[in-house]
Amino acid sequence: MSEHKPTLRLEQVTKRFGDFTAVDRLDLTVRPGRIFGLIGPNGAGKTTTIRMIVGITAPDEGRIELFGEAVGPRAQNRIGYLPEERGLYKKMKVGEQLRFFGELKGMSGRGADEAAARWLERLRLLDRRASKTETLSKGMQQKVQFIATVMHEPDLLILDELFSGLDPVNVELMKEVVLELKAAGRTIIFSTHMMEHAEKLCDDICLINRSRKVLEGTLREVKAGFGLGAVALRAEGADAALADPELVRAVRPGADYAEVLLAEGADPQRLLHRLLDTGARVSKFEQVEPSLHDIFIAKVGEGA
Amino acid sequence: MRKLLAVIRREYVQGVRNKGFIISTLLAPAIMSLFFVVPILLATMRTGGDTRLAVLDQTGRLYAPLSESLSRTGADEDEGPKRPPRGLSDEKFEARFAVERVEPGGLTPEALKEELRRRVLDNELEGFLVLPPEVLEGGAAQLYTRNAGDVFTRTVLERRLTRAVADERLRAAGVDGARVRQLTRRVELEQARVTRGGGEQRESGAGGFILPFLVGTFIVVAIMMYGQSVLSAVVEEKATRIVEVLFSSLRAFPLLLGKLVGVSLVGFTQFAIWALMFLMLGLFGGGAFALGGSEFAMPRVPAVALVLAPFFFTLGFYVYATLYAVVGSVVTSEKEATQIIMPVSFLPALAIYLAFPIIRNPNSDFSFWVSMVPFFSPVTMLVRIITERPPAWQIALSLLVGAATVVGMVWVASRIYRTGMLMYGKRATIPEVLKWVRMP
Repeated sequence: MSEHKPTLRLEQVTKRFGDFTAVDRLDLTVRPGRIFGLIGPNGAGKTTTIRMIVGITAPDEGRIELFGEAVGPRAQNRIGYLPEERGLYKKMKVGEQLRFFGELKGMSGRGADEAAARWLERLRLLDRRASKTETLSKGMQQKVQFIATVMHEPDLLILDELFSGLDPVNVELMKEVVLELKAAGRTIIFSTHMMEHAEKLCDDICLINRSRKVLEGTLREVKAGFGLGAVALRAEGADAALADPELVRAVRPGADYAEVLLAEGADPQRLLHRLLDTGARVSKFEQVEPSLHDIFIAKVGEGA
Repeated sequence: MRKLLAVIRREYVQGVRNKGFIISTLLAPAIMSLFFVVPILLATMRTGGDTRLAVLDQTGRLYAPLSESLSRTGADEDEGPKRPPRGLSDEKFEARFAVERVEPGGLTPEALKEELRRRVLDNELEGFLVLPPEVLEGGAAQLYTRNAGDVFTRTVLERRLTRAVADERLRAAGVDGARVRQLTRRVELEQARVTRGGGEQRESGAGGFILPFLVGTFIVVAIMMYGQSVLSAVVEEKATRIVEVLFSSLRAFPLLLGKLVGVSLVGFTQFAIWALMFLMLGLFGGGAFALGGSEFAMPRVPAVALVLAPFFFTLGFYVYATLYAVVGSVVTSEKEATQIIMPVSFLPALAIYLAFPIIRNPNSDFSFWVSMVPFFSPVTMLVRIITERPPAWQIALSLLVGAATVVGMVWVASRIYRTGMLMYGKRATIPEVLKWVRMP
């Protein structure tokens, strides 16, 4: 646990659009040097929250503190924001585009050019520097926009659905880069509804649903606090045992094995006994942590 | 401020590098000269040789003076002093005739006409002219031609025939035709403009009317063209969501201002290039107008107007481009924008119509008030300056009111822009837009 001042703090932040409350009295603390997962279903209020953090819109109520000060032009230069809806100037050359975005973050033209060159090389795009953006593939454009987000070495990075539209090779490349940035001491807010990604990258998690915070803590705390066990199961003839609601809350079938989420207070040993008693042939039975996905479904489903 | 400069530079560099810009810069003068010069050139071009004309003179007295008159070139002394030919000789527009006399040779007039008709159809003649005896008493003459559309030839012929007939009538009445022509000679009205500078500027009314009108139209077209390009840029940023990144880096006000300044600089670059091109083509251009036999000497634009024109263009550009940017920020697509922009486009068109009453009466109260309204003043004030220069304080006031309006409009627009650009999926209503302006 870091003793430093938080990078970002939201206090009782509320944002309304007409009668609709998009974000309702949200408290949030993001500590420096960590990857903070802002997760939630579509329409939960993630993007609205992010827009308030980066200063695109102002909250109706509550306070937002960035690096210990109010959101303003100075704080904005220390943020890198990758919106979920990507957009670049189609007719501009990649190099010019990056210089422009660098300058908008307060870099000098030359500084921006140098940073752009470094990053283009790192993401294997240096040969496309003089190409018009519209001639690049979608994946390449994603990477260009990522560079525009990180080139000014922001202290806080906000990455909204970073991996969408990327092939597996590039997903791995980006993960690598994100972890490097973390190692370099940057704070990262990672917003997604893909729990697999959040689970692999995030130190801290905040789940919001229907404008409100549902769950918060380190990934470890969240999983421990969830209170439900899970079992990875490969078996034949297990249907009878799995149908017992006192033992099993949900089953997620998989190609190799099924993930069984246990009911509240259920003992995995009792499930194993029941399986054997009902004549199932068990070839894999392993106690596992509940996945973030399970927690997500359980929590979001509860509210529904 | 570095961010503002970055926005201006991006807008400018992308603007002047755009294919549309390059093409329109190079092509517009060419197309304009095509529209003006080519019809004039073609209309006055003489194809083929002299007009071969047979004359059947049933009066027996008209052929000699007519053929003498038709074989002469140049204007007659009663047609007033000749316009100075500019660069080109007069011969080009002169209709020239090869006249032959038809001898009755004992044939009936009907038989003669039948024979002439055949010769015209066989292309031995372009036409024939029948002068019946009653021409001298006020009757009509008949001209038979293959081509009834050659107005130039017809006009010359009519004029010369009228003269020959009149001379004949005068002689019959015992009056000296040459003396009469001398006494009834047309008076030329020379027009000069009185200006505060003290000097006199000679120019003709037609030019004084057309020039301010052309300048006004040019300004309006330029304003609408560049307004449109601001609109496209705004819609692009909204549709591609680039604006999210932009707004996370700088405020709406410098963003909008940078955009407007950048595009206006693109406009000035284009005008500068055009001005250079026209300077180089100036001699030829002047020649083309003279060639057209246009009724006016090119009026000189007062230097003040040339100096002030960029200011009024700038004013008009900012007023309208701001409106266009607002429209761009509240719509969802360029197509939708085109519909909404219609009523906005009516204002500059109205400014052109307002130019008419101003040209007729440049210093009326009406002219004063419409040249103070920033939506019209880029055209109306400029028209006033060209036609009859208003007092300097009025020009200054007009610019001042305009500048204040622009500052206010950009401020209001940036507030609408700020919210509108983030509204996806639906077009904003007017009450919504008004609410955004009042939002802190």
